[in-house]
Amino acid sequence: METLIALGGGFAVALTPLNLALLLLGCFAGTLIGAMPGLGPVNGVAILIPLTFAFGFDATSSLILLSAVYFGCMYGGRISSILLNIPGDEPAVMTTLDGYPMAQQGRAADALAISGVASFVGATVSVIGLTLFAPLLAQAAIYFGPADYFALYILAFATIGGIAGVDPRKTLLSAVIGLMIATIGIDPISGIPRFTGGNYHIYDGVDAIVALVGLFAISEILFLLERRARDRSASIRVQSWLPDFRTIWATRAAMARGSIVGFVAGVLPGAGASLGAVMSYSMEKQVSNREGRFGKGDPRGVAAPEAGNNAASGGALIPMLSLGVPGSGTTAVMLAMLISLNVQPGPLLFARQPDLVWGLVASLYLANIALLVLNLPLIGLFTRMMMVPTWALMPVVAAVSFVGVFAIANSVFDLEVMILFGMLGYLLRKLDISLVPLVLGLLLGGDMERNLRRAMSISDGDWSILLSSWISIVLYVLTALFLALSVWLAVRDRRMDATRPTD
Amino acid sequence: MTTRIVGAAVFVIAALFVMQARLYEAPFGDVLGPAVFPVIVGIPAMMLSASLVVWPGSEVAWPRPERLLRQGAALVVLLGYAWLLVPLGFLIATFLLVALLAIVLDGPAGKSVVLGAVIAPALWALFDRVLGLPLAPLGTWF
Repeated sequence: METLIALGGGFAVALTPLNLALLLLGCFAGTLIGAMPGLGPVNGVAILIPLTFAFGFDATSSLILLSAVYFGCMYGGRISSILLNIPGDEPAVMTTLDGYPMAQQGRAADALAISGVASFVGATVSVIGLTLFAPLLAQAAIYFGPADYFALYILAFATIGGIAGVDPRKTLLSAVIGLMIATIGIDPISGIPRFTGGNYHIYDGVDAIVALVGLFAISEILFLLERRARDRSASIRVQSWLPDFRTIWATRAAMARGSIVGFVAGVLPGAGASLGAVMSYSMEKQVSNREGRFGKGDPRGVAAPEAGNNAASGGALIPMLSLGVPGSGTTAVMLAMLISLNVQPGPLLFARQPDLVWGLVASLYLANIALLVLNLPLIGLFTRMMMVPTWALMPVVAAVSFVGVFAIANSVFDLEVMILFGMLGYLLRKLDISLVPLVLGLLLGGDMERNLRRAMSISDGDWSILLSSWISIVLYVLTALFLALSVWLAVRDRRMDATRPTD
Repeated sequence: MTTRIVGAAVFVIAALFVMQARLYEAPFGDVLGPAVFPVIVGIPAMMLSASLVVWPGSEVAWPRPERLLRQGAALVVLLGYAWLLVPLGFLIATFLLVALLAIVLDGPAGKSVVLGAVIAPALWALFDRVLGLPLAPLGTWF
C-alpha cells in the first residue's frame, strides 16, 4: 500500500507538462538512436548526458529524459537487427538470429511487431519488479556499514568482470584502471592532490561524463573508420507494415518466459541486458525448439530475447537506484549523471528523494506505453531514418558530443580529455577489454575508497573490520563464487574454441 | 604482440603510480592515509598487466595502413576542433568538423561540404536559439 501511494506521487511528478514532454522526446529520440546501426543505448545516453546537464533541468527531469532515451534505444535496437542484420549493440545480437531470417522471408512486419510487443511486455514486467523490489532492497541496504559497502563494490567488479568479459583478467584490469583514474585529484579526506602533476584542471579529478563521452562516442567513430562504410544494399524492402496478430499472440509464452529470465539477469550487478538476451534466447530454444526452426526465422526466437533484453534493462535500474551499483553499461552511464547532479543513489535515496525515484518509476510505465504506441505505427519512419549513411551520421554525433562536453564548463581542456579517452577506449576495445568495468571503477572508486577509509577509522586501523559483519562475509563469498564461475566459463570457452573444427 | 606491448605499458604506468602513491602522507588524523588505496589498486593492475605480457591470449587485428591513416586524420580533425572552437567560433569550426569528418568517413566530398554547411547553422540554431545553450557563432579572431 505504501508503495502504491508513493507510486501515485510519482505519477503526479511524471505527468507535469515538462516531464511528460521530455519523456515523449526521449522515447522518440531513443528509438531513433537505437535504430541507427552502430549507436546503442550506451552511446545514446552518453552523448545526451552533457546536453541535459547544460540545459539545467533538475535531477528528476534529467533522469526521466535519459531513462526514456535508454528504454527507447532498447526498443529501437531491434529495427536494424531485423532489417539490416546489424545489431545496434550487444543485447540486440540475439534478435538478429531469427529476426533477420524472418525479414528475408518477407515477414519483416511480423518480426518488427513481435519485437515491439515483446519489448513492451519485458519492459513492463521489469518496471513492475522495480516498483516491488527496489524499495525492499533499499530497506535492506540501510543496514550496510562502510565495510559492507566496500565488499559490495568488490562484488560489483567481480560480477561485471566475470560475465561481461571474454577474458576475466582483461575485465578486471579494466576495472582497476578505472579505479586508478578515480584516485586522480584532490583527496577529499586529507586534501592532498594526487597524481595531478600540478595541473589545476584535474584537481577535481577526471570528470566521469567527459570520460564517458570520449570512451563511447569518440571511440565508436574511430571504430567505424576501420572499414569502409558498410554496404546497405542487403537491407530488406518492406512491402507491408501490417503484422499478423495471430503470430504475435502465439509468442505470448516466449515473451513471458523471456521477461522473467531477463529481469533476473538484469538485477545481477554488472550482468545487464546482454546476459538477459542471451539467457532468454537459449532458454526459449531449449524449451520450444522441437521442430528445429530456431535460427531460421522462428517468431519465438525474436520474442524471447527482445522481452529478455528489455526486462533486463529495467532490472538493471534496481541495484543502481537502491545500492548505487549499476547493473549494466547504460545504468553505469546514468549513475555518472546522477552523481554529477549531486544525487547519491543508494538506500537513502528512496527516503530522501522520493519524488525523484517514484517520478522515474512512474515515467517508465508511461514511457513503455508511449514507446508501444510510437513504435507500431511509426515503424516505417524509423526505418527510413535508419538509412542515413554512416558518413553523414557520425560527424553530427561528434559535433553534438563536443557541444555537450564543451557546454559543461566552457573548457577546451575537457574536449582534449574527451579525445584522449576516445583513443583509450578504442585501444581497449581493440584488445577485447570491456569499457564498462573501467567506467564503474571511475565512478565508484571515490566511494569505494571513502568507505574503506571510514571503516578503517572506525576500527582504528584494524583490517579485520572488513570481515566483521555477516553482510560483508556473504558478499565476499558471492564475489569468490562469481570469480570462480567466470574463470570456469573462460576455460570452458577456450576448450570449446580448441575443439571446434576450423572452417 | 599488441597485447604484450599494452600489458607492458600498463605495467610501467601502474608501477610508477604505486611508487608515486607511496609518497603521499596525511598530515594528521587519517588512519589509512591517502597512499594506501592507490597502492591496493595499483598492485593488482601490475599483476594483471604482467599476466597479459606473459600470456597475451588473443591477438589484435589492426586495420590496413590506409584505414589507420584515416583514423589519424580523424583525430587531427577532432583535436583541431577542440583547439579552434574558441578562436574560430561555433559556425566555422563545426562546419569544418562535420565536412572534414564526413570526408574522412568515405563521404563524397561535395555532399560532405553541403552537410557541414547545413548542419553547423542548424545545430547552432537548435542549441543557442531554441534550447538556450550559449554558443558564440563567431570566435575571438573575428
